[in-house]
Amino acid sequence: MQFNTVLRASLLACGLFASTMAIGQEKTGNKEGFTLKPGTVRIMLMRPVTQVGEQSTGGMYEPNADWTTQARENIAASLHDAQSQLGNQITSYAETASGEEPVVTQYSHLFGTVADSVIEYQFFPGNRLPTKKRDKGFDWAVGPGIASLKSLEGADYALFITTRDEFGSTGRKVLQIFAAMGGVSVTSGVHTGHAGLVDLKTGELVWLNADRQMGGDVRTPEGAQKRVKQLLEGFPGKPVETAALAGK
Amino acid sequence: MKLRAFALMALTGFATLQPARAAQDAFQLPPYAHAYEPQTVDERGQWMEADERERQIRDCPLRIREGNLETYLRAVLCREVGQDRCAGVRVYAMEIPKFNASMMANGAMDVWSGLLLRVRNEAELAAVLGHEFAHFELRHGLNRFKTQRGTSDAMAWISVLGGISNTPVGSANLSLLGSVYRFGRDQESQADLLGLKYLANSGYPAGSASLVWQSLMAEEDASALGRKQKPKQKYTAGFFDSHPASFERAARLAQEAAKLPAGGDARAKEFQEAVAPYLPRFLTAQVKLNDFGGSEYILSNLSQRSGWTGDLLFARAELHRARATPRDLQLASQFYRDAKGAGYSNPDLDRNLGLSLLRNGQTEEGRAALSSYLTAYPDASDAKAINALLAN
Repeated sequence: MQFNTVLRASLLACGLFASTMAIGQEKTGNKEGFTLKPGTVRIMLMRPVTQVGEQSTGGMYEPNADWTTQARENIAASLHDAQSQLGNQITSYAETASGEEPVVTQYSHLFGTVADSVIEYQFFPGNRLPTKKRDKGFDWAVGPGIASLKSLEGADYALFITTRDEFGSTGRKVLQIFAAMGGVSVTSGVHTGHAGLVDLKTGELVWLNADRQMGGDVRTPEGAQKRVKQLLEGFPGKPVETAALAGK
Repeated sequence: MKLRAFALMALTGFATLQPARAAQDAFQLPPYAHAYEPQTVDERGQWMEADERERQIRDCPLRIREGNLETYLRAVLCREVGQDRCAGVRVYAMEIPKFNASMMANGAMDVWSGLLLRVRNEAELAAVLGHEFAHFELRHGLNRFKTQRGTSDAMAWISVLGGISNTPVGSANLSLLGSVYRFGRDQESQADLLGLKYLANSGYPAGSASLVWQSLMAEEDASALGRKQKPKQKYTAGFFDSHPASFERAARLAQEAAKLPAGGDARAKEFQEAVAPYLPRFLTAQVKLNDFGGSEYILSNLSQRSGWTGDLLFARAELHRARATPRDLQLASQFYRDAKGAGYSNPDLDRNLGLSLLRNGQTEEGRAALSSYLTAYPDASDAKAINALLAN
């Protein structure tokens, strides 16, 4: 852990750490033919993974508790607004004394792993696995076991959100300018995020959107709105809406 | 030429900046103070990260929730550092068969099962817990983070300015990188010394801290020999080592312990009672590590305190069955039978005995053992496989 931090920092410091954004990278995947069920859809927002901090001159992540708290609140508020506009009902997952916390946490980890696999092995064309070619559709799941969780009862879908923001510090930006003078490219700031929707009856991943370079300053309500709009890109509509959209 | 001078100036500037950074702490309260809230931006960030990690540890499937193990571990820490210091501490026991314990910035401690299998009494356990608590009390996580940030900042500037001015900077950056590791090792030594004071002041024998490292070195040697390698103990730490060499630590701790009150009871019996219910699963995990020499060392250590119990004999048999030379298989069968004689009652024993007998060519005896396994445990998950083996 300690060694990795130092190594990563030194790699960044040496300017060897190129941007991970690949050209031609896809961002969104939808399960074919999937539409949200008609009527009011109840979505459970799982505890979002939110990390906001600064990027030091050497490229280290400096976690900032105040910014993270702001971002958490702003993103949750914007999500509620965005979903109620779509006619969906969104509830934030609340930890209870149900004793299910360890399992719920494991599902969050599992979702994270599945999402990373989708990004790595399907969204990125260079790495696409033979079984995950585009004509094979979008076939990913966390398993049907999630349907048996009591604490998610009453919800139709679970929404998972992950965001990580490292705002380039002043030092990093100055370094970037100096490095550019020497013809070396140093990146400043990291803004990544992904969002996914899991069908709670089947455990299937019905939509995933991932972006390695996101916009919107999540520390402000306006920025969070922009971020949420980007996070929800390609969010599956309802049968009527899709029909209406197709007619346009 | 001007740029080159600037780069050199920057380099020396950063070099002198380092020590000042470490000395600037001006916190009013210790981190263990009642209902302490982190103070600076950096400390709040570290605590937030720690809170997240603690949440994951709390919900981790590896956590040992059964029984009173976590309560016992916390009681040992409280006995050592005092109630006022331990009031805000949470202790999590994790089933990970390696020698380790760690404490996070926010006062959460995790203790691995491998540590509990190795330490021989409560005093040795307390020596490790006290060391971890010292890291927490001295805010080592935060200070290390600041040092790493300061150093990597300097390295970034040196690289860029060196690049612009065409000055070779590899060695400057390497020595800065080395300073980060040296800083970490210094923190370990500080934590060793403060932990030792807690150990001695709470009535545990002060010499126990040194014994932990001596025993660990003996185990590492046994492990190397078991792998047909030369034991390689370092006398001093290398450039990229995160901790001082065990040899250095053991010597230093023994030297310092001699200056402190010798202490009394190491509470071996209390420790043994607390860990006994978990011993079989800890042993199972250890045997699976494919470390014959190290595991044998641990087993012989345990047997010196409790004698060869059924659990220990079963683990010893498993160890030999896994290595599986002809003489190992013979020994395994013998140890399984000894374990049964010593009161080991799990039907798994008959299956494993049967399998090692079969491999050793003792077909009739092997089949008999497998049959009695199936009789005792007809719904076993591997019943079909065992039946197929018997049908051959």
